Amino acid sequence: MGRDNFTKQTPLMIELKNVFVSFENQRVLENVNFSMHQGEFVYLVGQTGAGKSSLLRLLYFDLRPTKGVVRVGEYYSTTIRESDIPHIRRKLGIVFQDFKLLDDRNAYDNVAFALHVTNTPRKEIKKRVLFTLADVGLSHKRYSMPHELSGGEQQRVVIARALVNDPIVLIADEPTGNLDPTSSYEIMDLLWKINLRGTAILMATHNYDLVKKYPARIVQLKDGILSEISLNQLQ
Amino acid sequence: MQVLYVLREGFSGFKRTKVPMIIAIVTISISLLLLSFFAILLFNVEALIEEIRSKVELETFLSEYLSDEEVVKLKAQIERIDGVKEVQYISKEDAAQIFYDEFGEDIYKVLNFNPLPASFKIKLYNEYKTLEKVQSIYYKIKTIKGVDDVIYRKKLLEVLDQQARGYLWILFGIGVFVALSAILLVANTIRLTIYAKRTIIQTMKLIGATRGFIRTPFIIEGLLQGFCGGLIAVAVVFLVVENLQTFLTVPVFDLIKVKPYYYVVILSTGCFLGVLGSLISVRRFIKTTVVQ
Repeated sequence: MGRDNFTKQTPLMIELKNVFVSFENQRVLENVNFSMHQGEFVYLVGQTGAGKSSLLRLLYFDLRPTKGVVRVGEYYSTTIRESDIPHIRRKLGIVFQDFKLLDDRNAYDNVAFALHVTNTPRKEIKKRVLFTLADVGLSHKRYSMPHELSGGEQQRVVIARALVNDPIVLIADEPTGNLDPTSSYEIMDLLWKINLRGTAILMATHNYDLVKKYPARIVQLKDGILSEISLNQLQ
Repeated sequence: MQVLYVLREGFSGFKRTKVPMIIAIVTISISLLLLSFFAILLFNVEALIEEIRSKVELETFLSEYLSDEEVVKLKAQIERIDGVKEVQYISKEDAAQIFYDEFGEDIYKVLNFNPLPASFKIKLYNEYKTLEKVQSIYYKIKTIKGVDDVIYRKKLLEVLDQQARGYLWILFGIGVFVALSAILLVANTIRLTIYAKRTIIQTMKLIGATRGFIRTPFIIEGLLQGFCGGLIAVAVVFLVVENLQTFLTVPVFDLIKVKPYYYVVILSTGCFLGVLGSLISVRRFIKTTVVQ
């Protein structure tokens, strides 16, 4: 796929240096070093409880490292202020296994919300939301409420919401975890397409079939320790 | 912040969650009704006490055989006492007339003479109408030469000063308790409506909404809830008070006085309760981390 060519020469988006995270004396991440460049696609694999979600939470600053430094864009965990956090989150697109749509409004308004928080003018919002919904193939369902959409469709809305602000990195935590195989592949096709256009994607997953079908860089968390592995080492 | 968007969000939040919203409004109106009726009761009891107190006066009976000149001097002397507002002379003839008015009998025909002494009716300034002060005035008048006797309603003043005050304080204490319960009840109900939206709040944080951006629509919602609850309470209080006065002729209901500004206070209290409840509740949920 030529994905490796994106890396090294392109700007650094995410960097973790000697990061430790502990909860009440229990070590969750141990001396994690990791970096990701613009345009990269990285899988984060590991068993449940290995610390995948904790690592992702570090990136959107819902969790602070016990030791070490987390850098996302121009923000560093050592110097970031509480009031900076909403601003860094606007530069990240976050996709969850359980979707986390605003269930009190339709697909259009869910995507538009991400632009309202950034003070985008109304005309611009309309243009960008419609464009992004078309991009994920959901123009026709823009007025549907979340409960009227299938799991795959809901995840597409979430992806549209994550994309609409042109994120520096799209963080996906088990995006296909709640989906049937067909929908999973559809979502994966979509993420793959988005990455080819230059958006960096960090995706935590259990689904090794997907990883094999869409090969990219893989990092594995095992007992809190992060290591780079190849496709062959995937068990 | 996009003011229009946030305002619209506040109004649509109001429409989106109808059932919890109705429960919150009803809770606010019930709390306000409790508070309002209690306040009306308290104000009326206090007004009643003040009304009775305003009727307190001293009656000074004069010795027989005082000359007109001496009566004028005596009147002037009493008028100079601190706290005395007005001194009204009631001659022996006036007393006989009052007797006739009250009992329908002419005292001259009953006894062949008029035993009723001339007297002064002494009115006091309101701030002097306490047992202690009235007593001090009583002694000052009693020791004046030419004064035979001084009487006033000592027992009534004792009751007003000691017991009525006590009851008022107890009522006031219960009032504070009712007010606190109202605030807690409203805050708790609103907390439940916001609790129902906690995942939405978390998601908004995740997308990068600032605290102010998340909080403001909830405050607008709270304000609307409080306003609606307040309107219902105002309507009920108005209907109850008006109908009680129209249909019931029991004297105590003549006392119920609800001034127009009470209604403004009820409505404002409703808005205040709504905003305060939202503010307390939303703060709690905004503070928590996104993923638990």
